[in-house]
Amino acid sequence: MSDPRPHLLKRGPLLLTALLLCALPFYLDAFWLRIGLFSMAAAIGAVGLGLLSGTAGQLSLGHAFFLAVGAYGYVWLAGEPGPGLPPAVALVLAVLLAGAAGGLFSPVAGRVKGIYLGVATLALVFLGHHVLLTADSVTGGFNGRSVPPLELGGFTFAESGPELTVLGVPFGAEERLWYLGLALFAVTWFTARGLLRGRPGRALVALRDSETAASVMGVHVARYRSAAFVVSSMYAGLAGVLLALSFRRVVPDYFSLALSVDYLAMIVIGGLGSVAGATAGAVFVTALPLLMTRYADQLPLVAAPGSGDGSIGPTEASRYLYGAAIVVILLYAPDGLHGLASRTRARLRRRPPATRPGGTGPVTAGTATHATSDTTARAKEHTP
Amino acid sequence: MTGFLDSLLGGLALGSVYALIALGFVTIFKASGVLSFTHGSLLLLGGYLVAVLHDDIGFAGALAVAVLVTAAAAGALDRLVLQRAGGTDPHAAHVQTIVTIGVDIVLVTDLARRIGGDLLPLGDPWGSAVTDLGPVTVADSRIAAILVSAVAIGGAFALFRFTPWGLSLRAAAEDREAAALMGVRLTRVRTAAWCLAGGLAALAAVFLVAFPAPGLERTTGQIALKAFPAAILGGMTSPVGALVGSMLIGLTEAFVAGYQTDLHVLGEGFGDVAPYAVMVLVLLVRPAGLFAAKGAARV
Amino acid sequence: MTAPAARTAPAPPALDVRGVTVRFAGLLALDDVSFTVAPGTVHAVIGPNGAGKSTCFNVLSGLYRPTAGTVRLGAAELTRLAPHRIAALGVARTFQNIVTTQGTVADNLMLGRHALSHSGFAASALRLPRAVREQREHLAKAREIAELTGLGAHFDSPVALLSYGDRKRVELARALCLEPRVLLLDEPVAGMNAAERTRTTRVIGEIRAELGLSVVLVEHDMGLVMRLADEVTVLDFGRAIAHGTPDEVRREPEVLRAYLGTTTGEDAA
Repeated sequence: MSDPRPHLLKRGPLLLTALLLCALPFYLDAFWLRIGLFSMAAAIGAVGLGLLSGTAGQLSLGHAFFLAVGAYGYVWLAGEPGPGLPPAVALVLAVLLAGAAGGLFSPVAGRVKGIYLGVATLALVFLGHHVLLTADSVTGGFNGRSVPPLELGGFTFAESGPELTVLGVPFGAEERLWYLGLALFAVTWFTARGLLRGRPGRALVALRDSETAASVMGVHVARYRSAAFVVSSMYAGLAGVLLALSFRRVVPDYFSLALSVDYLAMIVIGGLGSVAGATAGAVFVTALPLLMTRYADQLPLVAAPGSGDGSIGPTEASRYLYGAAIVVILLYAPDGLHGLASRTRARLRRRPPATRPGGTGPVTAGTATHATSDTTARAKEHTP
Repeated sequence: MTGFLDSLLGGLALGSVYALIALGFVTIFKASGVLSFTHGSLLLLGGYLVAVLHDDIGFAGALAVAVLVTAAAAGALDRLVLQRAGGTDPHAAHVQTIVTIGVDIVLVTDLARRIGGDLLPLGDPWGSAVTDLGPVTVADSRIAAILVSAVAIGGAFALFRFTPWGLSLRAAAEDREAAALMGVRLTRVRTAAWCLAGGLAALAAVFLVAFPAPGLERTTGQIALKAFPAAILGGMTSPVGALVGSMLIGLTEAFVAGYQTDLHVLGEGFGDVAPYAVMVLVLLVRPAGLFAAKGAARV
Repeated sequence: MTAPAARTAPAPPALDVRGVTVRFAGLLALDDVSFTVAPGTVHAVIGPNGAGKSTCFNVLSGLYRPTAGTVRLGAAELTRLAPHRIAALGVARTFQNIVTTQGTVADNLMLGRHALSHSGFAASALRLPRAVREQREHLAKAREIAELTGLGAHFDSPVALLSYGDRKRVELARALCLEPRVLLLDEPVAGMNAAERTRTTRVIGEIRAELGLSVVLVEHDMGLVMRLADEVTVLDFGRAIAHGTPDEVRREPEVLRAYLGTTTGEDAA
C-alpha cells in the first residue's frame, strides 16, 4: 500500500514493458500483432470481469452480452444505418451504453449474490443473442455488420487511410490498431488498479469476504454490487469496441455463452482479483487457439482445422487445455498464474510470499482468516 | 382451441423433461451447495451413449446403460474432482461450481467433436408416431416424456421422503456442519446426489431429442441450462419448487412458440429464450425465487 | 499518545434500547429487552450461552430487524436503518468470531475508514488528486489507530499471517477506525491467552478514557467485565433479568442462579 521505494525504481519495470510493447510493431508481422491485439482486447474485458467476479465475488456468465453491447453499440452509433456519429464519439458512447445496460440489470445484480448471479446472467447471453439475431435493422441479423474504422483527428485506424510508413515499416491496420489497443489497455490498467487499491476496491473485497462485516463497516451492499456490475460492463463494452475494430465485422454467434466462459477461464487461470493476473489469463486463452492453428502441423495429436471428422482440431485442443487448466488450477493452485508469479518472486527474494497461504478461491474467494464453521453459521444467523 | 391444447400438452411434456434436470440441480445443490454447470455435458453424454449403443443392444438396453454410465460419471466427477477442490475454504462450494464449468468445457468439447455436425438418431420406439386424444393430435414422444418423467420424478420424491439418504440430504441442506456432527456421511450423500442427478440428466436427454426435435446435436447440452431458470424459480432448494418452476418454464416456452405469430414483436424463436426472460422477471420481483424457504438470502 | 478521533462532538448521545423483541420462527430470542447505555460509559451485557447477547448486538448494528421495540441513538431511531446507515451514525462493532477480509492489516483498517471517506468509483479509477489525498490522509489515521491498538508493527502484514490475538485486535482497530461514538464489542478477549487478554483489556480501557466513546460489551470473562464495566445488564433466555453496577449484579440471587452459578467454573478457566 505504501511503498517506500522511489517512484522511478518502482515504475521502472512498467516503463520498460511499455516501451517494449510500443516497439513491437517494428519487429513483428501481422499474425503476431493480431494475436497481441486480440489479447489486449480480451485483457480489457477480463480485467472488467475480474473486478466483478474476482474482487467482488459476483459470478457473471453474461460478459459476452456486454461485449456485444459495446461492439454493436459502436457499429450502430458510428455506422449506417445508425446516427453515423464520429467514430471516437461512438466509442465513448458505446462504453457508456454497455455501462447503462449493466445498470439496467442492477436490480438483479445488486440483490442476487455470488454464484446465483451466474445463473441470472445466463439470461443476458441468451436474450442478448436473440436480440442480435432478430433486430435486423440495428444489428444486421445473422450476418452481422461491418465495422466502420475508428478515425481520430484525421488518422484512420485501418488500412484505408493514406499510406503510412514509419521508420521504413509500412503501417497497415494491425500496426495502427496495435497502438490503439495499447492505449486503451493502458487506460484499463491505470483505472482498474486505481479502483482496486482505492476505497471502492476495498469495499468490494469486504463484500466478497463477508457481506456482514462490509455492511457494519458502512458499505452499502446493494449499491456496491450494482456498481461493480456496471463498471465491469463498461470494461466489457470497451473490449467489445476494440474486438469489433480488430475483426472488422461483428456477428451474433461470436457473442455466445462460450465467449462468456472464455472470459471466466481467463480470470480463473490468471488468478482472481488482480489486474496482472487477468491480463496473463487473457493472453493465454486468446493466444492458445491462434498459435495452435498456426502450428497445427508441428504439434502432435492436433490436426489442421477442418481435416475430417473425429480429429482434434486446434480450437478443440485449446479448449481441452484451458478447460483442464481451470480444473487443475482450482485443485492445486487456486491463485492462478498471478499467485504462481508472486510465489516465485517471493522465493527469489527469499522472503515469505505476500499472498495468503490458503490461496484465493474463485468468485467468492474465501479468506483463511475466517473461522470456517463460524462464518457459515453466522451467515445463516443473519438471514432469519 | 386446438392450438391451445397443443401448446398445453407440449408445455407439460417439455416441463416434465426440464423437471428431470432441475431436480438434479436441486439435489446436487442441497447436498453440496454446488451449482452444476456440468449438466449440459452430462446430458450430452447420456444422449450420445444412447445414440451409439441402440443399434447393438436395443433402445431400452442403451437407455439403461446410458443412465447408469452417466450416473457413475457424475458420481465420479464429484468424488474424484469436486470434493478435492476448495479445501477448507468457507466458499468451497463456489470454487467447486467453477470447477464444474471447467469440466464442462472439456467434456462438451470432446462430445461435440465426436458428434461433429451430425444429427444422431436415438432409435427410440415412439419415433414420429402420433396419437389422437379427442380434439388434439399428440406425438407419442410427448406422452412418453410425461409418463416416464412422472414415474422418475415420483421415484425421486420417494427417495427424498422415505430413504435414510433422503433424510441425510435434508439434514445436509439445513446445516451441513450439524449434519456431519450427527453422523451424516456427507461425502456419500453428495456423491449419491450427483449420481441421481446424472441419471436423471441422461433420461432427460432421450426426450429432449425425441420427435419433434430432429435428433442429438452437439448443442443439445445447452438445453440443460434452461432448467436453471426452473430451479432458480423454485428457490434452488425445493424439489416441489423445481417441479412447479419447470412446468412454468415449459409452458411458457411452448405457448410463446405456439403463439409465435401473435408475438412476432418478440422476434422469431423467442420461445427458445423465453425461460430466461421469465427468470429475469421473477428475480426482479423476488430475488430469492418463488419458493425460497429459509435460505432466502442465498439467491 | 494522542487520541486519533478527530470527531469534535463532546459526549456521544445515549443509546436507548426499549422493549426489543426478536422472534425467529416461533423462537423468542429476545423478549422485551430494555436498557440504556449512558454516554461515555462501558455497559456490559452478560448471560449464559444462548441468552440472546449476540442477537442483541445484531439488532443494535442493524443486521436483525426486531419484531417489536426500538433502539435510539440520541434522536436517531436505529431499528429502521440498514447496517451501513447505522455505521455512518458512528456505531461500530466487532464479531465474536473473527471476520476480517483478505489483505493486510492496513487494508482492513482502511475498510473501517469507509464511512468517513468519500472517493467513489470514478475518482478512484482516475486517481483524482482529491482521491489520492484522501487515501493518504486516512492511511495516516489508520496507522495511528494501529499504533494505539498495538498493531503498528504488523501494519503491512497480511492478516492471515497474524496470531489469533492479533487478528482479534485487527477487528477492534477496524471498528475504531470508524471513529465510533458507540463501540459494540462482542467477546473481545474470547480465545485469547492471559497476556493477550491483559493487553486487550488495557487497550479497551485506554480508548474509552481517551476517546470518550460509549462501549457495549458482551463478554464471558467476568474479570474483564468487573474491571471495565460501569453498568451490567444480565440476559437469560432472551429476558433481561438484572441491571446494575457490577457489584450489584454480582449479588443478585437470580443472576447467580442463572449465570454465575452454572458457569463460574468455566469462566475461571
